[in-house]
Amino acid sequence: MIQHLVDGILVGSFLSLGAIGLTMAMHILRFANFSHAELLSIGAYCALVFDKVFESLLPILAAKIGPLSMTGALAISIVLSAAITGLSAVLIDRFIFQRVRQKGEELSMVFASFGMALIIRNIIGLVFGLSAELYSKDIAFAMILSRDPLLLVKPDQVFVLIAALILMFALHLVLSRTTFGFSLRAVAENPSLAQVHGVNLKCMIAAVWIIGGGLGAVAGIFYGLSYQITPVMGRDLVLPIFAATIVGGIGSVYGAVLGGFIVGIASNLALVILPSGYSPSVPFLMILAVLLVRPNGLFGEARA
Amino acid sequence: MIGVISYLVFFSTIAAILAIAVLGLNLQWGNTGLFNGGVVASFGAGAYGTLILGGTPQDGHWGGFELYYPLALLGGMIFAGVLAWVVGKLTLRLRHDYLAIATFGVAVAFENVMRNATTVTGGAQGIRGFERPLQSLIGSGFTYNLMFLIAVLTCLALVYVFLERLTVSPFGRLLRAIREDETAARSLGKSPDKVRLAAFVTGSVIIGLAGSLYGTFYAFVSPQDVLPILTFQIWAMLIVGGAGNNKGAMAGAFLIWGSWTFSGWALSRFAPVEVQLYTGSIQFVLIGMVIVGMLLWRPQGLFPERLVVSQPGGGSRGKTQAEGLT
Amino acid sequence: MKKALVFAAVAAGMTTLSTGVQAQDCTIKIGAALPTSVDWGRPIAEVAQFAVDQVNEAGGAGGCSIEMVLRDTQVDPKVGVDAAKALVDLEGIKVLLGAVSSGVSMPILTSVTVPAGVMQMSCCSSSTAFTKLSEEGKTNGLWFRTFATTGVQSAMGAKVAADKGWKSVAILYKNDDWGQDMSRLIAADFAAAGVEVTANVAINDAQPSYRAEVTEALTSQPDALYLALYPTEGKSAVREWISLGGTQNMILANSLKSDEFRDSVGLQYLGNALGTDTASPRVESADAFKAAYEAKFGSQPNGPGLANSYDAAMIALLAMEAAGKDASGADIAAAVAKVTDPNGTAVTADTAGFKAAKTTLAEGGTVMYQGATGNVRFDANGDVSAPAVVWKFTDSGTEEVEYLSLTEVDAFIASLKK
Repeated sequence: MIQHLVDGILVGSFLSLGAIGLTMAMHILRFANFSHAELLSIGAYCALVFDKVFESLLPILAAKIGPLSMTGALAISIVLSAAITGLSAVLIDRFIFQRVRQKGEELSMVFASFGMALIIRNIIGLVFGLSAELYSKDIAFAMILSRDPLLLVKPDQVFVLIAALILMFALHLVLSRTTFGFSLRAVAENPSLAQVHGVNLKCMIAAVWIIGGGLGAVAGIFYGLSYQITPVMGRDLVLPIFAATIVGGIGSVYGAVLGGFIVGIASNLALVILPSGYSPSVPFLMILAVLLVRPNGLFGEARA
Repeated sequence: MIGVISYLVFFSTIAAILAIAVLGLNLQWGNTGLFNGGVVASFGAGAYGTLILGGTPQDGHWGGFELYYPLALLGGMIFAGVLAWVVGKLTLRLRHDYLAIATFGVAVAFENVMRNATTVTGGAQGIRGFERPLQSLIGSGFTYNLMFLIAVLTCLALVYVFLERLTVSPFGRLLRAIREDETAARSLGKSPDKVRLAAFVTGSVIIGLAGSLYGTFYAFVSPQDVLPILTFQIWAMLIVGGAGNNKGAMAGAFLIWGSWTFSGWALSRFAPVEVQLYTGSIQFVLIGMVIVGMLLWRPQGLFPERLVVSQPGGGSRGKTQAEGLT
Repeated sequence: MKKALVFAAVAAGMTTLSTGVQAQDCTIKIGAALPTSVDWGRPIAEVAQFAVDQVNEAGGAGGCSIEMVLRDTQVDPKVGVDAAKALVDLEGIKVLLGAVSSGVSMPILTSVTVPAGVMQMSCCSSSTAFTKLSEEGKTNGLWFRTFATTGVQSAMGAKVAADKGWKSVAILYKNDDWGQDMSRLIAADFAAAGVEVTANVAINDAQPSYRAEVTEALTSQPDALYLALYPTEGKSAVREWISLGGTQNMILANSLKSDEFRDSVGLQYLGNALGTDTASPRVESADAFKAAYEAKFGSQPNGPGLANSYDAAMIALLAMEAAGKDASGADIAAAVAKVTDPNGTAVTADTAGFKAAKTTLAEGGTVMYQGATGNVRFDANGDVSAPAVVWKFTDSGTEEVEYLSLTEVDAFIASLKK
């Protein structure tokens, strides 16, 4: 029981990271982006490439850091991948979503994102092959925190959790203390009014994609560090991330963080009650339950 | 030559079945503006409903009632309708992007339940159906397929006529009125929630009919028939054909299913064996590009919606803040 | 007509005899509907093509060289059925290899191959629904599968646990038609062998993490772990299991006989892992497939369905040879008994074996095909049984730990049923 709870928090940490970007994009651009989870794949595969490159260029970086299965090469790769993924998110928006936005209506965007997800996923599959990849083949053993009740935690997971929390705190500072953060909120509230007050919309949208893509890449890499990366990981993660977003309320960054943890914990705890075959339904049940009680999510505001 | 005709009959049967589903989706999205991300749940409900009601009893299964076929068909449609009513009750009052995600989730959960509720649905092994209706009379060969195609085309025609009538009826006007401006419709004393629910359920029943026919034709259904990719395929047909236009919706079904199968055939025929092993991925990339390309260059589809109501500026659907952004 | 056919077959055989292995001037197409766009599906298609190449080297079958037309099913029943229909109608095939998933094979069988009178031979569809369909007489004898492993394998799993003295076992199974079957059978067999099943946990496809499922199995603290999984989710689940300190006593279904699985989990953790599989009978020539495969692909034929797919293609082609030129699907299906006859001349699974089979068949004899999955023998419903083997991982691939002949397997299964 307590093990499930702890596992849930650890799973929740990367769901939260993924959900932050999704909720921001959904808030500002008003569309459910089914291709958001593919940003996690892009990030994870970028890191795979960089990791290999750095390890062969500077063998010293291939050494593991402390008890983690993380290497110096991978640490540098995270930064680079986040940048590249953020950039590709901006490019995808420039070339696809922005044009669809101008042409049609917001729900065309939903469908365009469906199409983009399919394209990205299968191109990754063509380039990297269909089987799963690992950053490190060594198995990192879990630490036994307590024997009765049995409580096991992997060092990697603790690192992922702490890193995720630090990133979230940093984002919180940016959003609540800087002019940039105020502009972002202004745009989300009322784009026209914000523009009147001299906020550059295009920059703001690009910023949202960069933040969303960057955090998504980090989430994807953390996911790969804990499990494995496959071309279809976006497909596997899209529903849990959406669930986190909706549970938290679309537009609320803090909601997304909390939503990620709630969905993570619920998915783990659900197995105590439900037969294991039903676990894919859990995110959906979460969505439904929250929407029934609070139609706009825990922290969302009603909006036409 | 006989082979080609035989294949075309077979192909048309599946395409026509999918076309019925696209028509159902068109009522929901094209006419009412409801984003149903879980088409496959209605489709599967129809197929499973029909096979459970009409199928033969099997060990360890609760189903297999061997009902008279038309009753089983009707039962499948009712099952799809009931499921849609429950889903609609819960989700239709939501913002539309919530609706898209919630219905997408419904479809995932539906597949999951079908896979695990072994005693009712046969689990991952699926349900083996019945002797196809009239098969003992006609035999299972080419003639049967031809008769089946005629039956499916008749269903398609009936659905088409029904929807065309509906579109020009007062109810059809009401649907579009709500789609265009809900507040205005409400101020005229209409109840958008009820109307939307009615349209959602009707559309789902039509999709359920498609599912029933599909299950009947194969005399088999398994969780593999209700994966999210089907939702995507049916949406692609509607977008390419032209949302809001029933003729376009049907054309889209034949076009997309045709290119999906044709590309598979062409790749196996002309691509070298090494490339053939990648054809699946290539096909998905191509189909994704067709969708995105359509939305970029011809968002109204090949056959745009004809405006039946002579109102100026009826073409724009509720200006959004997003449009103001760009 | 029948006589004429036999005569034609004999004549064709004689021609082959006299002309040796010269290429034939005619081509017969056979169809394959396999999921080439899935990670584990691609090798299955490759190995079928490999069998066809070998047969062509031996001078083709049915008096002609063979061309395999391969279509991707995308594991989508609609796509698979359409592909099969196109193969039958447009390419004029009489033999279809495929599909892999029961959910695709079944609608192909009911709506394409049986109505058209085409023989269908699947490598890997495991659903018991096929047996039932056949018992009801709805397959017209056109359905075969080389997948013998569900019943044999679950019994072998129970035997391994009993022999090793493992008292309690947790089961992780793939939540598909094969996995659900396995989980049910193995749980019953464990119980019959006096081994306690502490947890029986489904592993769903496409889940972001298997942490919760693994924890579920782990909390019951079993002596050993039984795995009915494919490599992709298998390695994820097992890595998780080991990192959480779970026991390294493992029993693996033959689907995990894969280099990918061994490499990503690490050989050092698989020392106590024993696998089960069906096997070739104990004759030297039965290693023919393995040797030929290694020569061609540079690795051992380890992976789900590879041996089964090879046998499916080989038996289909042998039956075509036995049925002769211009045979119908039903003729070929009827000829399967001639090439899997327990009293027939034994032939190996390679080019030389196929040549030998041609000679025997041309002389009017019958053949016992000793395939990659064993001494394949179909019952009236197109199902097979085979000898079994227990194996473990080594540096270079796998090695055999124990061999059980068909009689021993049958005896053990019978002892469980008591």
